Amino acid sequence: MGTDTIKKYEKEFLLGLYERMFLIREFEEQVKFLFLEGVMPGTIHQCQGQEATAVGVCTALNNDDFITSTHRPHGHALAKGVSPESMLIELFGGVTGCCKGKGGSMHIGDVDKGMLPAIAIVGGGIPLATGMGLAFKMKKTPQVVATFFGDGATSEGAFHEGINMAAIWDLPVVFVCENNFYGASTHVNKVTRLKCIADRAAGYGIRGETVDGNDVLAVYEAAQTAVQECRDGKGPVLLELETYRITGHSRRDACQYQPKEERERWKNNEPIGAFGRVLVTRDDVDEGDLEAIRSQVEQTVVSAIKVGRSAPEPTVADLLTDVYA
Amino acid sequence: MKVKMKMPDLGTTVDEITVVNWLVEVGQEVKRGQALLEVETDKATMEVESFVSGTLEEICVPVNGVTTTGSVIAVIAVTDV
Ligand SMILES: Cc1ncc(C[n+]2csc(CCOP(=O)(O)OP(=O)(O)O)c2C)c(N)n1
Ligand SMILES: [Mg+2]
Repeated sequence: MGTDTIKKYEKEFLLGLYERMFLIREFEEQVKFLFLEGVMPGTIHQCQGQEATAVGVCTALNNDDFITSTHRPHGHALAKGVSPESMLIELFGGVTGCCKGKGGSMHIGDVDKGMLPAIAIVGGGIPLATGMGLAFKMKKTPQVVATFFGDGATSEGAFHEGINMAAIWDLPVVFVCENNFYGASTHVNKVTRLKCIADRAAGYGIRGETVDGNDVLAVYEAAQTAVQECRDGKGPVLLELETYRITGHSRRDACQYQPKEERERWKNNEPIGAFGRVLVTRDDVDEGDLEAIRSQVEQTVVSAIKVGRSAPEPTVADLLTDVYA
Repeated sequence: MKVKMKMPDLGTTVDEITVVNWLVEVGQEVKRGQALLEVETDKATMEVESFVSGTLEEICVPVNGVTTTGSVIAVIAVTDV
């Protein structure tokens, strides 16, 4: 992310990217404190450090384009425009949450915003995205679906079947691998001999690309190109976004498998700080602008938490609605 | 306002969580997100962070003491919530 790239864009657009990434970080940090307070049930998979992948990809999508997500969905949801309030209510199990309190963290989503409720089965979103791509193609709509999954998911059978079927039918699907180098505690080197996950694209006869996933503009540009290829009937595309989670796999994970030196290196290159440092090289942006965005976002999240804490829970009468089995 | 800090759910398969070390002394300021203590579970040794900023008023489980998920481990006088 050079100082030249940053000059190509409108200030408002760039500050919008910063705001969206900071919203994700602040949301995740506040949820962590709610967990430590003991008021947030279950465990939670958070995405601190991976904000640029979600924001870069979703910014390249239209409102009526779709995403599928994983067990680590908060960033994807916020980036696609799901409201922080409806998500916090959902996390507290409230009936006015984005899944009426029946989904919780790992099934966050909002079809009206173009996000299928997240699927926590590793690789589970991939074949669904292929199905959605087939629907878009048959209906002849210009819509595209981006499916997020981790490095771990690329060794699942669902990945092979989903991506191969999308390839043979030229479906408008962007396969977005967030390579954070670990599937839970297992390093990616232990589950594949490939140095580069994007190389898997060759096995399906499609284009693959590895991108610095901590550089929000690099992700945005790569996603924009991939989305356009899909709209033009030249998809699918596999994007590998290299990033790092600077928090545990779940809230219960002490993260001892991440070498300290490696973790520090990635922390120093976390996407929000890195983007902020380049942003202020513009003549029309200063640290004050960024500070103003941060405090406004903090207010948004604090008031969403207030609403979430007091949201009404589902009643017995709600037990059999919106469920299929 | 005083807040009781409870042992968070660390996903242990047995009940006992042992306090290995307190990283803050009674009377000291703590910041939200700051590691308060180290604990050992059946799975790992890990740090537990404070969810509030304030002054550590009381340590409820001493070093080598054993506690469980949801039990009060410290009392913090809060400066902001
Ligand atoms: C099919 C399946 N197997 C195992 C699990 C348990 N599990 C949850 S997350 C995870 C690791 C996934 O790693 P990766 O795909 O790299 O995503 P990341 O957590 O790094 O975002 C595992 C094994 C699961 N949810 N689904
Ligand atoms: Mg991973």
